[in-house]
Amino acid sequence: MDPATSRPAVVIDNGTGYTKMGFAGNVEPCFVVPTVVAVNDSFVNQPRSSSAKGSNWLAQHSAGVMADLDFFIGDEGLSRSKSNSTYTLTHPIRNGQVDNWDAMERFWQQCIFNYLRCDPEDHYFLLTESPLTPPESREYTGEIMFETFNVPGLYIAVQPVLALAAGYTTSKCEMTGVVVDIGDGATHVVPVADGYVIGSSIKSIPIAGKDVTLFIQQLMRERGEHVPPEDSFEVARKVKETYCYTCSDIVKEYNKHDKEPSKYIKHYRGIKPKTGAPYSCDVGYERFLGPEVCSSSSLQVFASFVILVFFNPEIYSNDFTMPLPAVIDKCIQSAPIDTRRALYKNIVLSGGSTMFKDFNRRLQRDLKKIVDARVLASDARLGGELRSQPVEVNVVSHPIQRYAVWFGGSVLASTPEFFAACHTKAEYEEHGASICRTNPVFKGMY
Amino acid sequence: MILLQSHSRYLLEILSNRVQNVEKGVELDCNWVEFGDIRYHIQASIKSPHLLLLSVSLPTPPPETVFFGGLPLGAIEAVKAAYGPVIQILDPPRDGFNLTVKLNLTKLPPDEETKTSLLVKIASLREVVMGAPLRVMLKHLASRTVAPDMDGLVALVHRPTESFFLVPQAEKVTVVFPMRFKDSIDTVLATSFLQEFVEARRTAGLVNAPPCSWSPSPPLELKGAAVEVLFANAGFVSFVLFPRHVEGIKLDKTVWNLSTFHAYVNYHVKVSKSAAALFGVAGVLARKTTVCFTVKCSEGFMHTRMRRRVESLIQALDRAKPDKEKAKKTGQSRSFKRLSLKEARSGLKS
Repeated sequence: MDPATSRPAVVIDNGTGYTKMGFAGNVEPCFVVPTVVAVNDSFVNQPRSSSAKGSNWLAQHSAGVMADLDFFIGDEGLSRSKSNSTYTLTHPIRNGQVDNWDAMERFWQQCIFNYLRCDPEDHYFLLTESPLTPPESREYTGEIMFETFNVPGLYIAVQPVLALAAGYTTSKCEMTGVVVDIGDGATHVVPVADGYVIGSSIKSIPIAGKDVTLFIQQLMRERGEHVPPEDSFEVARKVKETYCYTCSDIVKEYNKHDKEPSKYIKHYRGIKPKTGAPYSCDVGYERFLGPEVCSSSSLQVFASFVILVFFNPEIYSNDFTMPLPAVIDKCIQSAPIDTRRALYKNIVLSGGSTMFKDFNRRLQRDLKKIVDARVLASDARLGGELRSQPVEVNVVSHPIQRYAVWFGGSVLASTPEFFAACHTKAEYEEHGASICRTNPVFKGMY
Repeated sequence: MILLQSHSRYLLEILSNRVQNVEKGVELDCNWVEFGDIRYHIQASIKSPHLLLLSVSLPTPPPETVFFGGLPLGAIEAVKAAYGPVIQILDPPRDGFNLTVKLNLTKLPPDEETKTSLLVKIASLREVVMGAPLRVMLKHLASRTVAPDMDGLVALVHRPTESFFLVPQAEKVTVVFPMRFKDSIDTVLATSFLQEFVEARRTAGLVNAPPCSWSPSPPLELKGAAVEVLFANAGFVSFVLFPRHVEGIKLDKTVWNLSTFHAYVNYHVKVSKSAAALFGVAGVLARKTTVCFTVKCSEGFMHTRMRRRVESLIQALDRAKPDKEKAKKTGQSRSFKRLSLKEARSGLKS
């Protein structure tokens, strides 16, 4: 028997904002680091001198070699690029898709050797991908994993399915549901029936965690808070992560803030990176306006006031104005009719940007409103002869929502069936990278 | 880059987290594995939040190494000496592990600085346990003696069922690593890396580094060893350590670098592959490796500039392609040839 199957598998969930990595069987990932690579670029742009001979050439050559090895990831990378101008920051993943394979590979290298400190030849690997990843990029992932790292086996899982799997251990074995995955760079609403993704009904929204951050940054800038410009994005991110919450009614919330500013307005303190001088700024409306970017339905907000992100996307973007509950509703309505009730019953949140306080309650309320209105309309049309059963709408949130995908991966990879489902190195050598092309959860899609 | 730090990053993170939030007392139960098949398990209960149970399992020792009760020679003494009252060794260890220690967080020193350094030390438990026999031998080297019970050929485990060998003498210690790799490409790369590694030792800046050599066949020092250990597909690397390499604080570093030599070579093989494998030119690369050998005691850097080279080659290829635009146009004009009105009429008439 392969000795690698007796060791816990490595689970790496690469998100746009953060990468979660750890070993299967644990409850929490070992490390959660920002998905960034700081590369030393100072040698790359050096002009190739015409006298490419002798010691000069050698010096340049070895300098280049050093530059290739000279990179940092995660928080280390962030701090390096801030303190030192020779490092440039690259984000290997954009909007949930791998953008820069070069950087991605370096990132994995560091994850495996420097953070997890394991030998990739000793472990099976579980990686994740967004539901809209093209098969080519899956192939590419397989190639890097098998060729460079010599992993004995690889499984590329689909994030929403894992998020659903994370839910089932806590309550019941339910593999049907809608996963609302709001990460830093991508938002997807994915219906899953019995573990299979209903590919044709996947909806994605071009607004995600990063947009909330940008929105908060914009709000704070417009109000003229004294935040150093080079730091404003980071400050906005921190404000978002620590203070933001979801409100039930924006107008009421405005009133509350205006009546008792001392109770609701928080202070953010920081230190300027260049001068080291401390500064502080107020955090006011953006506390509840941020999450709104992705949520309310029919509230007309005055133009002079700012507009909202997930629930009221019109306050942030002009192109996309459909609120999140409506998108979920549309997604479920486009799914096969026999799955719809089950889908409404189990709406699972995952991803860091669903962590706002009361996000699930707001979502449930708004969605329930839409569904009830429809049921009422259909009852009226039928003229009271037939009464339809009320539709149960249930938005589930669990405590490990932020790592839901990782945790699902950890649960999945610790089952004995996992090793049988993996693509093995022998298969790869026999058939090539094309074995990674399809994923069984998209049955019949390709 | 990679010079592996001797402490486990994750263990250190857990410990420092725990020390800061002792009163919260959340339950903790984690399992993880490090290179060389070292498994860790850490556990803490809500009842006694300041007590942590840390278990370590070591790789399966090959027959030629000396193990006492599942631990290398002198490991227990080394653990006791390194940590003092903070750690208590439990006997028997947890099921499936070789060593279990009980960590008492209340006995940590109050001073912040010594506390962090002790935590780092605890996080490098692996080094203390695995490196114990090596440390004993190198200490004797520093005092120019030979440990009484260790003369002739000594085998020390560093990976599952694999060991490296030491020949201790009063004036020097010879260390021999049989290098084995599973993958054929890895073997080729490692062989070439090791050759360059030996070459790099000769550059002017590294006169003080230990002399090292590489040979495809077992060196003379291994005479008398069992037949099966004499097989190594990437050859044998030997270092000769002199007392000046193990003086004072250098000892710790030397011990760690020697016991992780294989992991170190493995990393660099993977790095060089990542540059080449992407473009499927691993074979060509073998000759193009460059080593920058820095610092004492076998620390090196290797990489290739193949990536850029291949990019420029691809660019050249792209330039050499026949003009796409033109090809498209001719294709279009052929398939969608539009007849003029006149032509159409003449066609109808005929």
